[in-house]
Amino acid sequence: MAMRELVTGGAACAVPGSSSSSNPFGALANALIGSSSKTQVPHPIHTYARIIDCYFLYSAVQERLKEIPTATHTTSGSNVYTGIGEPFTALPGSEFDHQLQPGGQGSEFLRGFRSADQNGFADAWDEIHNPPVHRFPLEHNQLQPEVDGPPQRMLSSFLHSFVNSSHGGLPFHPSPLPVLGLSEGDKKCIRDRSSIMARHFFADKSEDFVNAQVNALLSSLDIDNDIRAAGPLPGRFRELEEYWNDSQVMKPGPHAADGWISEFAQHRVGHVDPNAWAHSFEQQHGANGWASEFEHEQSQITTIDQMRGANIPSLAAMEQTRMLAHTLAQNNDPKFQNSKFLQFMSKMSRGEITIEDNQVKPSAYSAPGDWASEYQRQYNGGQSWADQFLSHGPHGWVNEFSTEQERHGSVDDQWVSEFSKLHVNDWVDEFGRQVGEGALGEDSADNWANAYDEYLNEQTTVKQRSETSRGVYVFSDLNPYVGHPNPLKEGQELFRKGLLSEAVLALEAEVLKNPDNAEGWRLLGIAHAENDDDQQAIASMMRAQEVDPTNLEVLLALGVSHTNELEQAAALRYLYSWLQYHPKYSTIAPPELADSLYFADVARFFNDAAIMSPEDADVHIVLGVLYNLSREYDKAIESFKTALKLKPRDYSLWNKLGATQANSVQSADAISAYQQALDLKPNYVRAWANMGISYANQGMYEESIRYYVRALAMNPKADNAWQYLRISLSCASRNDMMDACDSRNLDVLQKEFPL
Amino acid sequence: MASSSELKSAALMDQMKLHLASDAGKDLVKKIGLVYQINIAPKKISFNEEIYVVDLKKGEVTKGPYEGGKPDATFSFTDQDFFKVATGKMNPQIAFMRGAMKVKGSLSAAQKFTPDIFPKPSKM
Repeated sequence: MAMRELVTGGAACAVPGSSSSSNPFGALANALIGSSSKTQVPHPIHTYARIIDCYFLYSAVQERLKEIPTATHTTSGSNVYTGIGEPFTALPGSEFDHQLQPGGQGSEFLRGFRSADQNGFADAWDEIHNPPVHRFPLEHNQLQPEVDGPPQRMLSSFLHSFVNSSHGGLPFHPSPLPVLGLSEGDKKCIRDRSSIMARHFFADKSEDFVNAQVNALLSSLDIDNDIRAAGPLPGRFRELEEYWNDSQVMKPGPHAADGWISEFAQHRVGHVDPNAWAHSFEQQHGANGWASEFEHEQSQITTIDQMRGANIPSLAAMEQTRMLAHTLAQNNDPKFQNSKFLQFMSKMSRGEITIEDNQVKPSAYSAPGDWASEYQRQYNGGQSWADQFLSHGPHGWVNEFSTEQERHGSVDDQWVSEFSKLHVNDWVDEFGRQVGEGALGEDSADNWANAYDEYLNEQTTVKQRSETSRGVYVFSDLNPYVGHPNPLKEGQELFRKGLLSEAVLALEAEVLKNPDNAEGWRLLGIAHAENDDDQQAIASMMRAQEVDPTNLEVLLALGVSHTNELEQAAALRYLYSWLQYHPKYSTIAPPELADSLYFADVARFFNDAAIMSPEDADVHIVLGVLYNLSREYDKAIESFKTALKLKPRDYSLWNKLGATQANSVQSADAISAYQQALDLKPNYVRAWANMGISYANQGMYEESIRYYVRALAMNPKADNAWQYLRISLSCASRNDMMDACDSRNLDVLQKEFPL
Repeated sequence: MASSSELKSAALMDQMKLHLASDAGKDLVKKIGLVYQINIAPKKISFNEEIYVVDLKKGEVTKGPYEGGKPDATFSFTDQDFFKVATGKMNPQIAFMRGAMKVKGSLSAAQKFTPDIFPKPSKM
């Protein structure tokens, strides 16, 4: 099949991929040609439509083949060829409008058309007409149609001769045809398409000639040639798209632009009136015509299932209109841009564009209505859009686009070649680059794509996380220690050995067995805190507190964890309770104050307690935590140092000191404190993570990555650390490792970032 | 120096203030050089806001609306959401998409507002 070859990999065309899934152009061709393999008999009108499209494609192919060697056509020439927008931009109209020279463009077109593989086309032609039954030989020189035979064949031959007539430059002689049984819709379709075709074939001839030809055709077919009466139709829409796209790919200077504009204006209302276009359009379709027409087209197209190929054009149309909107955004003030920006993002969030495997894919026009209404809302219907541009006059509009082309020369090429590969991820980058005219830098474009990825990932994990958010403990699945005779003991052993994650499992088994075991819960909480999971720590500690409200360690741990989470009020309450329940200091803390606590008061009480028993390290520890809460870091550091003098081998105390120093941006001191803690307890995940934080806060991102990875190796569930790792990776410009981070691939990370 | 604010974000702001005085903070000022105003509301955006100005031109954090002209970008958050964004738990783009973060002013300036600007809190 010559045509298919041309589409899928002929000499001059660099069409990526030949499978229909990745090559929309090929798919279109397949649909057009291959659909004849279906058992159903194509309705004449659809056949006609396909014929037309075949013509267009084929002629476009010819034109392109001729054009490619000539350098005058810019790069978009060959690129456009491969694009999904192919059916539109490659329509003969575009070439003809560029090259408005006298002298039989029409005939040249057909010559080219003919010079190609006639047999191939004949075959194509035949296939469309159900080869088993009608072997219809292609007679190019035939000027008079066959008037007998099945309606389908008649119609096609009739139409074909119409085309032929253009070659000879001879007027078309209408001859009456028997009733072909064309429905209204069919007629309208034919009318529109014929006008398009005619205009392109006879572009070099006068408008009158064109109209005459079309009229001849239509009268034979008994169709009313009333342009205005046309309702919203694919044909009309496509035409509009065509012309709009002409402006997109237009490279040559004003002369062609003028020609196009005047022709367009002529066609519409017969006189050059800048507003006529908008008005006539409005008349026909209402103020929101364009958008509603698009909507209509979408629904129309979905019902024409034979036009499988049309799915791609409509997707292309959708993308094009998006492109349209996007280019519009370029031209207007930042407000406009921002709203487009928002639209885009809301579209993303709504799922009109879905994300799979790091690629953004449009969900096939699932919400044309949404888009249309969005567009309408955005632009106040077609009117304001038209007004905006028409306020510059028709030439102005074209000039704007031309200059737009110069400024963003690569826009179309990129867009088109991207769509040919259907790699919309690139488009996202492109969009990111273009919207705001460089406002979004390279990095953030990447970030955008990643962000959407994350967004979806987040959606799946958010359920899981919401349970732990407020004090509900989440048990691990597949706990090997369940059924163990004495899991508490086991847990304590493991904890002592420093195997925190294992200890957690054992202790979970314990509290599943004995939910009232305060010690079990307490130790579980401590294990989680040391594993750098404050959420679970809080959940465990609260269960422990339920069982034993007076346990001081529990109260302190709760105070610490809440301070870490910056939950000031709760932390204060717990620390105050520590004082209340302490056998020695309970007298200092009047219980009635518990409901309205102020730092100053509580701090005073603690200081009193410290004076009472200066050798009590715990008082100092709690005081230190308290000062952290009020961000009086110097005092906190002092308290901790005092406590450390009394308890120098308390690793968690060293960590507290380090954290306080880090939070007051004394990072160097913090690191040495952490080191002390790690010397005492090598598997202290929290300390490792804190090390990472301190390096990151100093801007030493490379180092921080190593520490984070180390912490994560010990506890892969430390979500905080994963997030910080991600930030550090991006700060260190190690985006190559970002995937490993997102997929939590510790092996890769450990290999890459050893300590 | 104690802050009377109840917001979590206040703690982050204080840490930021200290951070800007350090070397890393000075690098940040060099790198960004913009003025951000951040309106933080306890529960619902725009209600009972506390306003902070993170001035990455001068390298300071102040409380109250920006007096020295117009900030390059103004953000509005709730306390929880700002905390999440600043600690990297939530991506700013996602926050924006969800409406958890509102932006006014220069978009390019807003793009530079990333979690890595803020120093992370260490855990005791």
